[in-house]
Amino acid sequence: MEYILIQFVNGLCQGSIYALMAIGYASIVGVTGLVTFAYGEVMMIGAFAAYYTFQYFADQLLVGILASFAAAACMGFLVYKICYERFFDKPRHISLICTIGFSMLVKNLAQILFGANTKAMPSVIQNFFLDIGPVRINAVQLIIVATVIGLSGALYLLFNKTQAGIRLRAVNQSRQAAALVGINVKRTILFGNCLGCGIGGTAGMLLAIYYQSLSPTIGSTFGNKAFASAVAGGMTSIPWAAGGGVLIGVIENIGTAFLPNSYRDVFAFVFLFIVLLLRPEGLSKKEGIRP
Amino acid sequence: MLKVENLSVSYGYVTALTDVSFEIHQGEIVTLIGSNGAGKTTCLMAISGLVPKETGKITFLGIDITHKSPNRIVNMGMSHVPEGRQIFPSLSVHENLLAGAMGRPGRTKAQIAEQVERMFSLFPRLKERRNQGGGTLSGGEQQMLAIARGLMMDPDILMLDEPSLGLAPILVEEIFALIQNIHRQGKTILLIEQNAAMALSIADRGYVLESGRIALSGTGRELLNDQQVRSIYLGG
Ligand SMILES: Nc1ncnc2c1ncn2[C@@H]1O[C@H](COP(=O)(O)OP(=O)(O)OP(=O)(O)O)[C@@H](O)[C@H]1O
Ligand SMILES: [Mg+2]
Repeated sequence: MEYILIQFVNGLCQGSIYALMAIGYASIVGVTGLVTFAYGEVMMIGAFAAYYTFQYFADQLLVGILASFAAAACMGFLVYKICYERFFDKPRHISLICTIGFSMLVKNLAQILFGANTKAMPSVIQNFFLDIGPVRINAVQLIIVATVIGLSGALYLLFNKTQAGIRLRAVNQSRQAAALVGINVKRTILFGNCLGCGIGGTAGMLLAIYYQSLSPTIGSTFGNKAFASAVAGGMTSIPWAAGGGVLIGVIENIGTAFLPNSYRDVFAFVFLFIVLLLRPEGLSKKEGIRP
Repeated sequence: MLKVENLSVSYGYVTALTDVSFEIHQGEIVTLIGSNGAGKTTCLMAISGLVPKETGKITFLGIDITHKSPNRIVNMGMSHVPEGRQIFPSLSVHENLLAGAMGRPGRTKAQIAEQVERMFSLFPRLKERRNQGGGTLSGGEQQMLAIARGLMMDPDILMLDEPSLGLAPILVEEIFALIQNIHRQGKTILLIEQNAAMALSIADRGYVLESGRIALSGTGRELLNDQQVRSIYLGG
C-alpha cells in the first residue's frame, strides 16, 4: 500500500511534466490545425540545449529553462517554415508527412552532432528530502512540479489576458473570421507554433533532469507521451490535455508497481486506447457550443 | 471609394463570378442582390482577399488591393461581417469585441474600452452577456455581436453579408434601422441581402447579380420599380 502511495506521488511529478508536454502539443495543434510528428524531436533539442548550457555556461535551472525554451522555439520556427508555411491551402497530409521527415532528419543530425550515446544530465537542483508520512519527496520532484505550475500559470495568463492570447484563440476557432477582424493569421500561427515548441523544449529538459539522462533518440518516447496525453484530453483543449498528462503519469507509475518497469510505456497507450473506446472525442467536452 | 473592375472568380471548375464591375462612393449605401448561388458572398470574399481572383482589379481609397492579404485590407479601414456570423464561439462577448478591435492597430487601451462601451450602448443585450461565451448566444444576439465586432475597428466601409439571415421579422427591422443609423454616422455600406425589397428601399444604389454577372444596376428606387426585378426578387 505504501509503495503504491509512493508511486502515486512519483506519478504526479512525472505526470506534471507530461502535462507540460501536452500543453505545448495542444497549443500547437490548436493554432496550426495539424497534428505534428516533430514534437518529440523538438523536445529532445530543448533537452540538449539545456544540457550544453549546464555543461558550459551556467548550471542554474532558470538559465536552462530559458535555453531549452529558446532552442525549441527556434526549432518551431524551422518546422513552420519547412512544413507549414507553403502548405496551408494544400491537403493536410502534406504537412503531416513533412513533419515526419523533419523529425527523422533532426534525430539523425542530432546523433551525428551530439553523439549517439546516452549522456548523464548534470544535476542542477540542490537535493534535499521532505518526508510526509511514509512518502519521501525529493527536491527535484518539488522543483519540477513548481516549474510546471509556474509555466502553466504564465501560459494561462498569456492565453486569457493578453492581446496575443485573443489572437491565438481567435485563429484557433476560425481562421477566416480571424483574418476578417484584421488578425495576421500566418504570423499568429508562427507565434503559436514557436510558443508550443518552446514549452515542449522546457518539458524535454525537465524529463531529462528527472531521468538524469538524455540521448538523441529520446524524442520518440517523448512525442508519443505528449501525443497520448493530448489525444486523451481531446486534442486542443489545453486544461484537459494537461489533465490527460497527469493521468498518464500516475497510471504509468502505479502500473509499474505491478508489472516490470519495461512495460512502462505500454500503460500510456492502453489508457489512451480505453479513453478513446469510451469517449472518442477525448475527455474534454467541446466548450462554448450550444448543446 | 471602392472600385471593382472585371472581377472573375472560380472554384476549380465552378465559375462563380464573371467580369463583375461596380463601384461604391463615399457615404453611400449600395446593395448587391441576387438569388441563392448568384455569387454575392464570393464577391465580398474576393474583395477581402479571402478567395483568389482569376482576373480583375480592386481599388480601395485609390490603392490597388487586388493582391493584398486580408488583414492588410482590413487594416486599411474595410470591415467585412461575413455570412453566417462567424463569431468566435469560445471567446466571450467582450473578447469577441476586443478581437474586432485588432483591425485598427495603434489605438490605446482606453480608446478601445471606449469603443466597447459605445457598442454596448448600441446593443444593450450584448452588455448583459458580456462575459458569456459567444457560442451560447441566440442567433439574433450572435448577429448583433457579429455587427458590433465589425464596427469595433471603426471602419470606413462596412460590408454586411446577409445580416438579417434567419432572424425574426421584428429583429430584421431592428437590424435595418441600425444599418441606417450607422450610415448616418458617416459610414459607407455595402449590403448583401436576400430581402431585396428592404435592402433596395434603404439603398442609394443597387446591383443585381445573376449567375455571377451583373444583370442590372440603378438607384434603389429604379430597381424597386423595375418590372424584371419585381417579378424575380420581389414576388410580383
Ligand atoms: N468553396 C467553394 N467551392 C466550390 N464552389 C463554391 C464554393 N463557394 C461557393 N461556390 C459556388 O459558387 C457559387 C456562388 O456562391 P456564393 O456563396 O457566392 O453565392 P451567394 O450569392 O452568396 O448565395 P447565397 O444567397 O445562397 O448566400 C455557387 O454556385 C456556389 O455553389
Ligand atoms: Mg451568400
